Amino acid sequence: MTIRTYWQIDPAVEPHRSEPALRLQLPGIVRDRRVPTQNRYDYYAQIGQAAVQTGFDGLFIRYRAEADESRIIAAAIAREVPSVEFVAEFPAAVGSAVYAAKQAVTFQRGTGNRFGWAVTQGADAASRQREGDYIEDGLLPERVKEFLKVARGVHGIRPFTLKGGHFEVKDGGFDAPLNRAAFPTVFLQGDSEDDLSLSACQADVHLFRANETSRLGHLIEALDDLAKRADRSPRFGLIQPIVAREFTDEAERDAKRSGVTEHTLVGSYDDVADRLAELAVLGVSHFVLSASPSLEEAYRVGQYVLPRLRTRLSSLRAAA
Amino acid sequence: MTIDFYWRLPTHGCHSSIRSGNYDRGDWSPLQAGNIAPGTVNGADSDGFTYIDHLAEIAKAAESAGFQGGLIPSFPNTDDPWVISPLLARETRSFRFMIAFQPGFGNPVHTARLSASLQRATGGRLLFNIITGGGGPAQLWWGDSFSHDDRYGRTREWLDVFRGIWGGKGFNYDGRFYRVEDAGLSPLLAAEEFPELWFSGSSDAALEVAAVHADYYLSWLEPFAQLATKFASVKERTAKLGGEQKCAIRVDLVARPTEEEAWRDIKIGFENVSEETRQRWRGQATDSVGASRQAALRPTDARRYEDLIVAPNLWGGFNLLRGGPALGIVGSYEQCAAKLDELIALGADGFILAGTPHLEEAYRIGEEVLPLLGRHSTALLEAAE
Repeated sequence: MTIRTYWQIDPAVEPHRSEPALRLQLPGIVRDRRVPTQNRYDYYAQIGQAAVQTGFDGLFIRYRAEADESRIIAAAIAREVPSVEFVAEFPAAVGSAVYAAKQAVTFQRGTGNRFGWAVTQGADAASRQREGDYIEDGLLPERVKEFLKVARGVHGIRPFTLKGGHFEVKDGGFDAPLNRAAFPTVFLQGDSEDDLSLSACQADVHLFRANETSRLGHLIEALDDLAKRADRSPRFGLIQPIVAREFTDEAERDAKRSGVTEHTLVGSYDDVADRLAELAVLGVSHFVLSASPSLEEAYRVGQYVLPRLRTRLSSLRAAA
Repeated sequence: MTIDFYWRLPTHGCHSSIRSGNYDRGDWSPLQAGNIAPGTVNGADSDGFTYIDHLAEIAKAAESAGFQGGLIPSFPNTDDPWVISPLLARETRSFRFMIAFQPGFGNPVHTARLSASLQRATGGRLLFNIITGGGGPAQLWWGDSFSHDDRYGRTREWLDVFRGIWGGKGFNYDGRFYRVEDAGLSPLLAAEEFPELWFSGSSDAALEVAAVHADYYLSWLEPFAQLATKFASVKERTAKLGGEQKCAIRVDLVARPTEEEAWRDIKIGFENVSEETRQRWRGQATDSVGASRQAALRPTDARRYEDLIVAPNLWGGFNLLRGGPALGIVGSYEQCAAKLDELIALGADGFILAGTPHLEEAYRIGEEVLPLLGRHSTALLEAAE
């Protein structure tokens, strides 16, 4: 029951933090000596450091069209944020799969193989048109599949040729030393039948949305069945927003204050650790945890929840 | 008049000396004692450094020595400039990252987001060397099956969209290759400066796109008269469209205290070129006009280094010593500075310089050659008046 914990960096939240144009203005009586070279990436790096120092295994960086791009954030902070994994979310519409695979190689070479890909199918049709992407909804899973086939193909096979509906490569494939880097761990998401079928054949880790235990159990079983038929065994993950406080009533109070999304895990440190351990028993091995403000909550969850979770998991292991 | 000087980050490893063809910096050769990034511990195990650590050293040397930044080339077996730039963004201060990029490889909207994010990460230190590609097998390797002239049409449209959405919301475009509706970068991203574009390509199709989109028209070094004609025609073409075209040259230097020392390095380097290396460069298939212009020098057939001296202080065999263009400048510090001054007089507004090893030579050229510039060009300009 080895689990991996990831802290979420959402570049669009806490937008005023370390953003020269948006930061909160101090009253004139406070002498303000902040300089414009302090920028948003200082904040990303600080969240990254917080995750390292509080014992997370990785960072999960969201793709937000209006904010900094996830892969740029990952690379920009990687050299000052040691040891943890960087999972960057981005749609399969970014461009050539060969090119994306090649970029991943340099990231791997420069960071000691710490890169993960959370490839998404893309936004809704209207948003996609604003991105010059006119693919039909029904073809989105197939495009992710082809994207990954081409990327894995050129990474591991030489010469590699594939002529698909979305991507084409002829006599491709990386040579030494590029082909010595590990291919990024692939995280896919979604709860629909199509999403599960795609993950059964392509995901290393499938991330579910936070949900009821029974619903999650059902989804895990469905994916497991599909994967077995494909002779694969992707691991199961969960994107879980959290409001954890010392006491349950404080957590409930703060959850009300902040207006949390459905299925947010709200409770005392013990409540939250109990629930995460329960999910681990259900088969979830990869936890993407999130809370705002990202920095302070990373410390809170890292210091109070993760140690409790680890204790529970060791007792479960001992009991088994 | 000021001239922009850039350096280059070698993305396929580096040699510790121009005399040796051995890639002993980086991991493009088998790990052995004497190698750097990775190096060895006890002559065997890797010391844990990787090539990005060496690139960081070169970037810091270049910014310290007075270069504005560096070109970061991209080929099938190189590291990638889109990742090198953010990896080094926060430990460099003024170094500008010139990403070599073929537009067709990325969706223009997503690429604009990447670019604006990089501008934000670096404080506006991103620029591009836009390449449209040599065609042939290399293009298919990248997954690109467009024919040559179509590729320039696509580059043109790609840049139209890339630039258009930088203005914010409501950009529409309906072209042969790209179509977007109500597109635009978010206010946060659109607030960044649009990156400067340095444009490569020698064919007529390339020159037409350059006239519309390029801040700098970038050429490899060519025989000076040929280059003067080319720059004049590019500048004239852009002037007709109401713009002003700046021109830039990419060139390697071997600059030493005396001319004799410089040629000695070339001689030893040339004699160390293996038959295998000659064969490899001889067989390269491409439909690039720029590459054919360089191939006309036929360095792979030369038996004596002297046969490749095409003019005083100009040597046409650099591609035998390291990947890249054939023609480069060889001479004393004074002579190298004089050559650069000549190029400024014939229309160069910017340079991408390089020397091997890139780390040490960044300091040498920055400290010994750049300070000598400007004396000859003034004289030449006065003579021309």
